[in-house]
Amino acid sequence: MRFAKYTGRRLLFLIPQLFAVSIIVFFLVRLLPGDPAFLMAGQFATQERIEEVRRDLGLDRPLYEQYLIYVGNVLQGDFGRSWRTSQSVLQDVRQRLPATLELVLSAGLLSVALGIPIGVYTAVKRRGVADKVLFGYGMLAGSIPDFWLGLILIFVFFSKLGIVPGPIGQLDPIVATPPPVTGMIVLDALIAGEWEAFRSALWHLLLPVATLTLVYMTLIIKNTRSAVEEMMESDFVEHGRALGLSRRMLLRYALRNAMPPVVTVIGIVFWFLLGGAVLVETVFAWGGLGQYAVEAVVNSDYAPLQAFVLLAAVFTLVVFLLVDLAYFLIDPRIRT
Amino acid sequence: MRDQALTPLVGGLARPGSAPRGLRSVIAFSRKRPSFLVGLAIVAVTLFLAVFGPAIAPYHPERALPGAGLLPPSPEHWMGTDVAGMDIFSRIISAPRIDLTIALVSSLLAFVLGVVLGVISGFFAGAPGLGRFLSEGIMRSADILQAFPIFIFALALVGFRGPGVENVIAALAFLNIPYFLRVTRGSVLQVRERPFVEAARCAGNSELRVAFVHVMPNALTPALANISPGIGFAILLTAALSFVGAGVPKPTPEWGSMISIGAPNMMTGQWWTAFFPGVALGVTVLGYALVGDGLRDYLDPVKRS
Repeated sequence: MRFAKYTGRRLLFLIPQLFAVSIIVFFLVRLLPGDPAFLMAGQFATQERIEEVRRDLGLDRPLYEQYLIYVGNVLQGDFGRSWRTSQSVLQDVRQRLPATLELVLSAGLLSVALGIPIGVYTAVKRRGVADKVLFGYGMLAGSIPDFWLGLILIFVFFSKLGIVPGPIGQLDPIVATPPPVTGMIVLDALIAGEWEAFRSALWHLLLPVATLTLVYMTLIIKNTRSAVEEMMESDFVEHGRALGLSRRMLLRYALRNAMPPVVTVIGIVFWFLLGGAVLVETVFAWGGLGQYAVEAVVNSDYAPLQAFVLLAAVFTLVVFLLVDLAYFLIDPRIRT
Repeated sequence: MRDQALTPLVGGLARPGSAPRGLRSVIAFSRKRPSFLVGLAIVAVTLFLAVFGPAIAPYHPERALPGAGLLPPSPEHWMGTDVAGMDIFSRIISAPRIDLTIALVSSLLAFVLGVVLGVISGFFAGAPGLGRFLSEGIMRSADILQAFPIFIFALALVGFRGPGVENVIAALAFLNIPYFLRVTRGSVLQVRERPFVEAARCAGNSELRVAFVHVMPNALTPALANISPGIGFAILLTAALSFVGAGVPKPTPEWGSMISIGAPNMMTGQWWTAFFPGVALGVTVLGYALVGDGLRDYLDPVKRS
C-alpha cells in the first residue's frame, strides 16, 4: 500500500517535469531565425502548405496560446509532418522507435549483466592485475568516440574477418521481415518462430550493441566496484566478520546495501545510451529514431527534430522515475 | 571523463580552499603520479599544435592533391591520404586549432557562468526572500536541463540555430554550465559556514560582496579541477557533432569530420582514413582527463595522504 502511495506521489511529480520539458522544446523551435511556418513546412512547400502550417501552429496568436496549441497537439499525437518523408512525424516515429528501443535496451541490459558481476569481482579481489586492466580500460573507454569504435569493429570483424554481416541495417536484404508484433525484429522473429530471420537479426544486432556496451559498461563497473568496496569496509560488515559469517554471506549483505548508487548509475547509463544510440545508428544504418533525427538536422526538417528531443527527454524522465521506484523497493529506510 | 560527471554522486569533492601552494609540491606530486605528467605532456602537445599545427604541416591541410586519393601510409604520406587526396597527417595536426578553440572558449564561458550561478545558488540557498527564490530557480532549471541527453540537446541546439563554429561554441557552453554550477554550489555551501564569512559580514560588507569577494575565491577549487575534463568532453562533443554533419563544416580539418569522411572507406579496407583521427581524439581526451584527475587528487587533502 505504501508503494502505491509513493508511486502516486512520484508520478504526480512527473507532470510538472513533463511540462517544463515541453516548454523548453517549444522554445527550441523559436530559436530559429525566420518565419517558423516557412521553416516547418520545408523549402519545397507550396504557399497553401505554409498557410496550413501557420494555422496549425497558431502563429497569429499570442505566444502562450501557441504553446497551449502545441501541447494540445502533442497530447493528441500530432507532432507535425516531416517534409522529407511526407508522412506525419507520428507515423515516422512509430516505424523507427522499435529499432532504437531494441538497440538501447539490449545494450543497457548487456552492460548491466556484465558490468555488475565484473564490478563485484574487482571489488572483492583488490589490487590484482584485473584492477589495473580495468582502470586502463575505463580511462580509454571514456576518451574514445563511440562512433569511431563502431567503425573499428566493423573494419575488424566485417571487412577483415568476415564474421559479422555488414552495417546495412537490421536484417539481411534477402530475409523477409517477420510479422510485426513488438516492432523489434529480434523479438518478432522469436515470437513467429522464424529462425532464419532471428539469426540474421541477432547477427546484425551484435556489433552495434557491442560498440555501445564496450563504451558505457565501464560506468557500471566503476560504480559497482566503489559501492561494494565501501560496503565491505562498513561497520555492519565488520560486525558480520567478527561474528564469523562466511565470505558469501558478507558479500550478499554488502551487495544489497550497495545497490542504491548502482541503480542510479544504471539510470545514467541509459541516459548516455540514448545519445550514443544516435551516433551508432548512423554508423550502422540502423533505421531507428537516432538516424531519423540526424537526417532531420542535416536537412533542416524541424518537426521531426522537435519531436525527437521531446521523446528523448520523456524517456529520460521515465527512466529516472523507474530508478526512484527501484530505490523504494530496495531500501526499506525510505519507506518509513 | 564521463565518470568525472559522477564524482559528486560517488563522493570525493575536493575540499575548498585547502590546496597546497608552491611549485615544489606540484613537482613532488607529479613524481608520484606519472599519469599526470603524461596528461600534461599531451595537453602541451595539443596546445602547441593548435598554434603551430597548420604551419608545420608537410602538406596544406585543405588542399586536395589530384590523383592521390586513398594512398596508404608511406614515407611521403605518413598517415596516408583520404578519398579526396588530402594528406591525413597534415589534417590531423591542423585539427587541434579548431577543436581547441571551440573547447577552450566554450569551457571558459561555461566555467564563468556556472561558477557565478553556483555561487548565487549556494550562497543564498535557504536564505529568506529573493535570494532563496533565485537559488531554487537556478537548481530547478539545471535539473530539468539534465532530462535531455547531452549529445541530443547539442544536436538540437545546433540543428535549430544552424551549423557553424559560433553555434557549436554556444551550444557546448550552455550544456556544460550545470556541471560547474553543481560543483561550485556544493563548495560554496561548505565555505559559507566558515568563521571568516561571518567576520566579513560583521565588518559591514553587503551580502553580495561577501558572496563574491570573500566566499567565491575560496570555493573555486572543485570547479577549477573540472575544467580540464570539461575541455576533453567538449572536444568529444564537437567531434560527434561534426561526424553527423552538424558541427564544423568540411573541409576544415576536424577529427570528427575526418572520421565521417573516412567512414565509407573503413568498410572497403582503407582503414587509415578513419583510424588516425580516432586515435588522435582518444589520446587527446585521455590527456585532458588525466590532467583533470591529477588536479582533483592534488587538491584533495584526503587523497594525498
